[in-house]
Amino acid sequence: MSFLPVSYQALPGVVAGATHYVLEVMIILTILGVLTFYIYYLISSRKEAVEEAAGKEGYTDSSEYVRDKMYGRKRKADFSMFIYDDAKSIGLRYIFTGIAFLFLAGSFGVMMRVSLVDPNPVVISPVLYDIFLTQHATLMIYMFALGVGFGFAYYLLPSYLRLKKDNMGTLSSVAYWIWLLGGALFVVSRSSMRWYMYPPLSLQLTPYGAGMANWLAVIAMELIFIGITMASIIVLKIIFLDRADDMPLSKMPIFAWSIVFTLIMVVSSDPPLMVGLGMLFYDFFNPVFFTASSNTVLNFAILFWFWGHPIVYIAVLPFFGLIYEIIQKFTGGKVYSYSSAIIGMGTLLIFSELVWGHHLLNSGLGVDWVLFFTTTSFVVVIPSAISVFNWIATLWTADRIRLSTPMLFVINAIFDFILGGIEGVMLANDSFNEIAHGTYFVTGHFHFIFVGMTLGVTMAVFYMLYPTFSGGRVYNERLAKWHFYITAFGSFLMSFSWSVGGFLGMPRAVAGYFPFFQPYQDSAIIGGVIIGIGQLVFLYNIATSWLKKPVTDTNNAFETVEDIPAAVSEAEPLAKDTQAVNGGE
Amino acid sequence: MSPKGKTELMWLLGVSAILVVSAVANIAFIDGHTANIAQPTDLQTVPANSTIINVTGSQWVWEFQIGNQTYFNSGNGHSGALPLVLNHTYTFEVTSKDVIHDLSIPEFGVQSYAVPGHENQVSFKPTKLGYYYFECVEYCGFEHYEMRGYIDVTNGGAS
Repeated sequence: MSFLPVSYQALPGVVAGATHYVLEVMIILTILGVLTFYIYYLISSRKEAVEEAAGKEGYTDSSEYVRDKMYGRKRKADFSMFIYDDAKSIGLRYIFTGIAFLFLAGSFGVMMRVSLVDPNPVVISPVLYDIFLTQHATLMIYMFALGVGFGFAYYLLPSYLRLKKDNMGTLSSVAYWIWLLGGALFVVSRSSMRWYMYPPLSLQLTPYGAGMANWLAVIAMELIFIGITMASIIVLKIIFLDRADDMPLSKMPIFAWSIVFTLIMVVSSDPPLMVGLGMLFYDFFNPVFFTASSNTVLNFAILFWFWGHPIVYIAVLPFFGLIYEIIQKFTGGKVYSYSSAIIGMGTLLIFSELVWGHHLLNSGLGVDWVLFFTTTSFVVVIPSAISVFNWIATLWTADRIRLSTPMLFVINAIFDFILGGIEGVMLANDSFNEIAHGTYFVTGHFHFIFVGMTLGVTMAVFYMLYPTFSGGRVYNERLAKWHFYITAFGSFLMSFSWSVGGFLGMPRAVAGYFPFFQPYQDSAIIGGVIIGIGQLVFLYNIATSWLKKPVTDTNNAFETVEDIPAAVSEAEPLAKDTQAVNGGE
Repeated sequence: MSPKGKTELMWLLGVSAILVVSAVANIAFIDGHTANIAQPTDLQTVPANSTIINVTGSQWVWEFQIGNQTYFNSGNGHSGALPLVLNHTYTFEVTSKDVIHDLSIPEFGVQSYAVPGHENQVSFKPTKLGYYYFECVEYCGFEHYEMRGYIDVTNGGAS
C-alpha cells in the first residue's frame, strides 16, 4: 500500500487513482475503527467499577459522582483522563492532544523546510509538499493552538474561579471527541487545498489540483467547528455562571478574562465560515454557490477571512492571559495595571472583526476597501501595545525576577511578539503590502508570534504544571534550558531569514523557487531544523524524567490548595476505584 | 491621575503618534496611487497614454497579451521575458481561466489577484532599467511554484 500520494503521478488515469484512494481511506478507517472499539472496551470495563463505587454512595449518575469527587482537585495525567469527564480531565485531554498534534504538524513543517534545500523540488514531490503545507497550517491552528488554549482553560479555570459546580462534563466530552474526529479526518483526507480552501481550487478533485478528498477535509473542518463552538459555549457558561459567589467579574484573574474574549471571538466569528463551508460542500456536487456564473469566488474568500483573521487572535489571546499570570508568579508581585490589561484584550476582540479585509487588499475589491482596512489595521496595534507595555512595566517594577525556564520562554515570547508586531504594522502599509503580500515576509511575521508566543508559552505552562501532571516527578532543568535556547535561536533564525527573503519578494507556499533566493531559504532551513531538534530535547527530557520515581509533591504554582474550599490536599478520592480497575498498582 | 496611569498614557500617546503618522502616510500613498491598486476593470479610470496588457492566469501559465503579441511563462517553457519600455505607463487587465492566482512584481509594487469570472486592473510605470521577476503568490495547485518569469525593462526602440 503506498501511503504517499506521489504514486498517483505514475497512475494512468484519475479513475484508477480514485479507486486506489478510496481503498486506502477504507483501510485507514478500518484500523481506526478497531482501535476505537478497543478503547471503548477499556473505557466501559473501567466505567463499571466506577458505577459500582457510585452506587454504594447513593449516586444514580456515575459521571456526577466522579465530578463531585474530583471537583477542583489537581489531576495527574494518565489514561483515566479519557474516561472521567470532570473539567480537569477534559483539560488534560485537550492539552495532551494539542501537544501530540504540535509534534505531528511540526514534523510536517520540518519536512517542508528540508525539501527546500534545492531550488527545484527534487527531495519530495510538489504534491506532497502541498499536502504538508495544508496540514501544517490547519493542524497547528485548529488542533494545537486552539487545543492547548481550551486545555488550559478547562484545567486552570476551576482552580482560578473556585467553581461552585462542574456539571457539563458529558457535553464537554462530546465536544472534545467531535473536535478530535475532525482533526483526524483532516489528516486522513490528505487535502492540499491550503487552509484558505478557496473554491475553484478546492473543487478540483485531482491530486494535480488540490487533493482528491477535499470533500472529506471540508467535513472535517465542519466537525472541528462544531466541537470548538460547543466547547466555547460551555467554557463561557463555566466562567459566567459557575464561578465562586465572592468573585465579581471585576476581580476575575486576567487569564479568565483572556479566555472570555477568546471564546466570544470564536462564537461570534465562526458562523460565516461554517455557513461558507456548508455551501462549499454543496458546490462539490452542484456548483450553485461560489462557482456559478452569477457569483464570484471572492465571496468565499470574504466569508473565510471574516473568520480567518479572528482565528489568529484566538490562537494567541489565551497566551496573553497566561503571560500575565506567569509574570506574576515569577516576580511575586501584582500586574502593573489590571484594568488596562482587560481593556487591551477587550478592544482586540472588537477590532479583530474590523481588520480582516487586509488579507484581501490586492484582490481587486477596490480603493475604498484598501483605505478602510489599512487604516483599521493601524488602529488594532494600540490594544497590543497596551499589553506589551503592561508586561514590560510589570517586569520593570518587579523587585526580582526568577529566571527559570518558564520565565525565559515568556520573555522570549514578549520579544518575538514585538518583532512580529512591528512586521505587522509594516504590512498594514498598502505600498509595502503590494510587495510583501504572499511572500515569506508574512510567514516570518506570524511565525515570530506563533512560535514565540503560542509554542513558547505552552511550553512554559507545561513545565510549570509538570510536577502535577507526572504525579510528583521533576524535569531536568539543564535540558529544559537547552530546550529553550535551541527553540528561541532556531525560531529567530527561521523567521528572520524569511522576513529578509520576503522583503525581497520571495514567494511563500511554493515547492520550488528562483535560485537567487537560496541563501534565505537555506538559513531558514537551518532554523527550522534547529526548532525541531529543540522539541526533541523536550520530548527526551519529559520521557526520561517520567520514567523515574516521583521525588516531590504534586503542587504547582497555578493550583494552590487554599483556592479550592472543598479540596483536601493529598486526598485521592478515586484512587481505590482506579486501582481496582487497573488491577492494583 | 496616578503616576502609573501617566506613564501608561505617555506610552500610548507615543505609540499612537507613530501610528497616526504611518496611517496618514498610508492614506496619502493610496490617494496618490489609486491606479496602482488592484480594482475591478473600468476603462474610465485607466491612466491616459497607458498600454493595456491582458494578463490571463491558468494552471500553470501566465499569458501576457500586448496587441497581437502573446508572451507566456510556465514550467514547460516560455516565450522569453516580457518586454516593457522605461517610464511608460502600463495597465494590466488581470483575469483567470480556472482558479485564483495572484500576479506579483515585487520590484514595482504591482500585485493583483487573478480571479475567474472577474477582471482586475492595475497600472504601473517601470522606472528602472533591467531584468525583474514576476511570480504567482496565491497557491494554485501542483505547479504553482512554476508560474514565474521575467520582465525586461528597456529604453524602447524595438517594441
